[in-house]
Amino acid sequence: MSSFVTPGQQRYLRACMVCSIVMTYSRFRDEGCPNCEEFLHLIGSQDQIESCTSQVFEGLITLANPAKSWVAKWQRLDGYVPGVYAIKVSGQLPDEIRSSLEDEYRIQYIPRDGTQTEADA
Amino acid sequence: MASNDRGRFDDSEDEEDFNPAPADMSEDEDRNDGSSRARDSSPNRRQEADEDEDDEPAPARSRRTHDEDEEEEEDEEEEEEPRRRHDDDDEDEEEDDEDEDDVQQGHRRKRQRDRRNAFIDIEAEVDDEDEGEDEEKDGEEIEDFIIDNAHPDDLAESSRLDDDRRHRELDRRREMESSMDAEKQAEILRQRYGNRRPGKSFGDSAVVPKRLLLPSVDDPSIWAVRCKEGKEREVVMSIMKRVEERRGTKDELAITAAFERGGPDSVMKSFVYVETQRQTDILVALDGILNVYPHSKLTLVDIKDMPELLRVTKTPTLEPGAWVRLRRPPKHSGDLAQVIDVTENGLEARVRFIPRLDYGMRDEALSAVTADGKRKRPPGMGPRPPQRLFSEIEARKRHPRHIQGNPTTNTWTYMGEEFENGFQVKDVKIQQLVVTDVNPSLEEVTRFASGADDGTENLDLKALAASLKDSNTLVTYLPGDIIEVYAGEQRGVVGRATNVQGDIVTMFVTEGDLKGQSIEVPIKGLRKRFKIGDHVKVIGGSKFQDEVGTVVKISEDRVTLLTDQTNNEVTVFSKDLREASDIGGQGSLGQYELHDLVQLDPTTVGCIVKVDRESLVVLDQFGDTRQVMPSQIPNKLPKRKQAVAADREGSEIRLDDVVKEFSGQQRQGKIIHIHRSYVFLHTHATNENAGVFVTKASMVNTIAAKGGRVNAAASGPDLTTMNPALKIHKNGTENKPLTKQFGRDRAINQTVIIKKGAYKGLLGIVKDTTDTHARVELHTKNKTITVPRDCLNFKDKNTGINIDINGRGRPAPGGAGRGSGDRVPGWQGGSRTPMGSGGADRVPAWGSRTPAQGGRTPAWKGQDYSGSRTPAWADGSRTVNPYDGSRTAYGSGSRTPAWQAGARTPAPGDAFGAGSRTPAYAGGGGGESWSSGSKTPAWGVSAPTPGASESWGYTPGAATSSAYDAPTPGGAMSAPTPGALSAPTPGAYNAPTPGVAPTPAGGWQGGWGGTDSAPTPAAGAPTPSASGYGGYSAPTPSAYGAPETPAASGPRYTDDD
Repeated sequence: MSSFVTPGQQRYLRACMVCSIVMTYSRFRDEGCPNCEEFLHLIGSQDQIESCTSQVFEGLITLANPAKSWVAKWQRLDGYVPGVYAIKVSGQLPDEIRSSLEDEYRIQYIPRDGTQTEADA
Repeated sequence: MASNDRGRFDDSEDEEDFNPAPADMSEDEDRNDGSSRARDSSPNRRQEADEDEDDEPAPARSRRTHDEDEEEEEDEEEEEEPRRRHDDDDEDEEEDDEDEDDVQQGHRRKRQRDRRNAFIDIEAEVDDEDEGEDEEKDGEEIEDFIIDNAHPDDLAESSRLDDDRRHRELDRRREMESSMDAEKQAEILRQRYGNRRPGKSFGDSAVVPKRLLLPSVDDPSIWAVRCKEGKEREVVMSIMKRVEERRGTKDELAITAAFERGGPDSVMKSFVYVETQRQTDILVALDGILNVYPHSKLTLVDIKDMPELLRVTKTPTLEPGAWVRLRRPPKHSGDLAQVIDVTENGLEARVRFIPRLDYGMRDEALSAVTADGKRKRPPGMGPRPPQRLFSEIEARKRHPRHIQGNPTTNTWTYMGEEFENGFQVKDVKIQQLVVTDVNPSLEEVTRFASGADDGTENLDLKALAASLKDSNTLVTYLPGDIIEVYAGEQRGVVGRATNVQGDIVTMFVTEGDLKGQSIEVPIKGLRKRFKIGDHVKVIGGSKFQDEVGTVVKISEDRVTLLTDQTNNEVTVFSKDLREASDIGGQGSLGQYELHDLVQLDPTTVGCIVKVDRESLVVLDQFGDTRQVMPSQIPNKLPKRKQAVAADREGSEIRLDDVVKEFSGQQRQGKIIHIHRSYVFLHTHATNENAGVFVTKASMVNTIAAKGGRVNAAASGPDLTTMNPALKIHKNGTENKPLTKQFGRDRAINQTVIIKKGAYKGLLGIVKDTTDTHARVELHTKNKTITVPRDCLNFKDKNTGINIDINGRGRPAPGGAGRGSGDRVPGWQGGSRTPMGSGGADRVPAWGSRTPAQGGRTPAWKGQDYSGSRTPAWADGSRTVNPYDGSRTAYGSGSRTPAWQAGARTPAPGDAFGAGSRTPAYAGGGGGESWSSGSKTPAWGVSAPTPGASESWGYTPGAATSSAYDAPTPGGAMSAPTPGALSAPTPGAYNAPTPGVAPTPAGGWQGGWGGTDSAPTPAAGAPTPSASGYGGYSAPTPSAYGAPETPAASGPRYTDDD
């Protein structure tokens, strides 16, 4: 259950659009997203994985200590499990998932594809 | 540091459960608190410190101070305020209380959510609801409890808050806590929130503004470590691996995070960034990891730069209609495609593009079986087929089974690919698309536009503009360009670019509030600005490149201009335009410009009437236009300013003269070229062929000569053409060159000596000639020079004497003919004079002359056998002399010598000889005369006339002596032959001498008279003569004739001398 991915496997990497954790497709399928599984329900669902995770991401972060790291704080990763995250994840959550996130789970979804940068800055 | 650790642990738990940002804050606080307490055991001191920090400027500001600020701001919200205060206070206190039990935990969670409310209104409301629920379910206790809590927090945080209230709240809360059943409370809270923890933590994190997350000095620092370019990801993964391997061991890595921002275009490539408190941790963490070089220089990233490292810029989302380029499949690499649709997550796009199909044309080649029996794939795709719209017919030819579709909607599936309306449609991952710097050219785009179902042009310029907007790389601004800012804070500012450096343009503002200032703006938000009526040139980016025109419409950054050359309206982007200084229509293509005269082929020339970007339109000498490429033009003919032609009237016309067509359309124009007999004219009356037309020089009349030049026509008639003498001569000279042109020039191969010039005196041989010049090969040195012909003296090759090469070969008859011609007037002149002197009797004389002439011929014939005449000559000459003196008529004539001259011939010889010679002489001259028709009358008129006139004249004069009359005709008959002058006179006297003579003469005349009407008078004449003879003849001549003969001969000799 290592986050390490050999270079040969890196082509299968996907990033969660919610928490931006980067894992292989098979891991998403087998274990789900360690941070978001509760509401994304990725385990075993190929459709869900494909709509909620993205192959297109930039910048890898090794997060060793989410609590202490400013990077994690800045990326809003504090509180997540240690692991590999992406700095930018392209793609947007499907609308129904997004609305259910916000309505049912009271989570304000912030896309990680850079759309919110200006608003925040 | 037990408390510290504890606090951290709690925080992390909190963050998972709740809003991370507040958790973070709390963590911060916790840590601060913990450490400060550990050090000072005084919370107040920490507060003071915080307040101090409050005064300090931004980067060092703690989130705590922000919190305070916000809280202060929200003081007005009275209801929430207390709770919040309570929360903060509570937090502090809870650090101490936390070990108590789950109840505490539950409280804490709730409070933290409340505390989060301090930052975000929306969430605050949501939380209010939550809280409302809580309150409903938990009952008053909780409400009170919260209220109680708020007060101490306020107290602790801000001195402005009411201490009393806080203390009361705190007391109440403690009271409540103690009184409350902890187990129960925990149960309730777990039940409520247990299943939501991660979600909440996530959602909460999103709402903390980034500016509250800015790094502080307390945060770990970030170091940039060199690594191998392209291996950034691997390095980060390796670090991850090492982190996991050593987690929980005593070698646990101290780094908190590591990241990379690699990528081929990234400025941060070949670096990984490691976040840690101490630099030495990096060496431990990275030691032994491949492709990273921690022992090289480590660069500490400045705190204020840290957010930049993680800045994320949004990839422009694809919109339907946008233009992209394909990366894959390789066959279509670089091809333009249009986005039809984008999947919901933005990761895939449906695009359409023009297929590259060969419809199986190359299948044979691809399936060629190699020697070893294996089917070999060619390594590459080979040349890729050209882009063509899908054709169902083509597809059916070879793969009828692989195509299916619906003809009505024109959608097909062929070889597994989809086609719609000829375009290939494909779902492509956006990684396979080039989205930025697409720069679709209008040619490419129009292929899509024209492919619309109904054939209408539905070019979406907006989408095109959007595609082009991303690529500012091609936009070039030059100092002096009028530019406008259309994006950003300075939007609307108009000015003049003064300096361009990289992506920054310095502009001098000319309009608006900032007028007069110079500001720097990024190139990204700029566009060029034009006004309607500006004269602009398209500088790139479209097929209208280099067109020049006038701006007629401006819509945002699309500018419509009316081109100068074609008067078409074209629409281009303002970035592709530039103010044009040159005039349209005068464009030049390479060395060729409008109105240039060019050689099209050896016999054809043309005038350029239109210059396109790649071709020229040429009006040739026959009036046809043709389009040619510059490469098809072998030669450009320079403008010959001296060229002269003659118009219809023979006036000279030169360049820039205004002439008018004599016939046809009677167009008028200015001469721009003269080529041989063709003139190219330019007129402003029409713009067909740019106003150029061509005609023959002989078909135009001069209207106005440039500079008022005097034309030949204006100077009156050419006198030289009216002078017959000159004309004759002219004709003569004109004929000469004509004859000369036949055959080779006689001058060639002649030895010449040069008369003038630098080569004067040198000898040479003519090698070649023109009309005016000769090429002379010099004897003296091996050189051939060109000298004017009139500088040459022709020499005989052998003798060296001057020769006239032209006279040399002249035919003899020609010379003779001319000689005779000259002589003719001489005769005429001589003979005419006496004729003029002839009296009124001339009329009969004329009448008689005819027979005289007629008689002459027989006289010739009779010459041989009529012995009478010959002696008559001889006698006559002799006899006349004595009479001359007595006769005025004779004496008056200067003819005496002439007569003697005439008589001279017979004089030496006997009468017969003389007689025979005279005609012989006459025959010598006259024979030919007779033969030549023209001369016959000349002779006839001239020769006989004197003779006849005189004889007849005498006749009346000598009416007394009828004897004279008689011989006259006889003389007339004989005399004409030798010389008209002399012959008649002696003839008149000669005749009497031989009395016999008249008789034959009369017989002749009579004979003639039979044939002619004229003889009648002649016949009449002899009669008296015959009678007259009877009286005179014997005595006069015969008596005196003999002795005088010598005398006569004497003067004859003297005359001769």
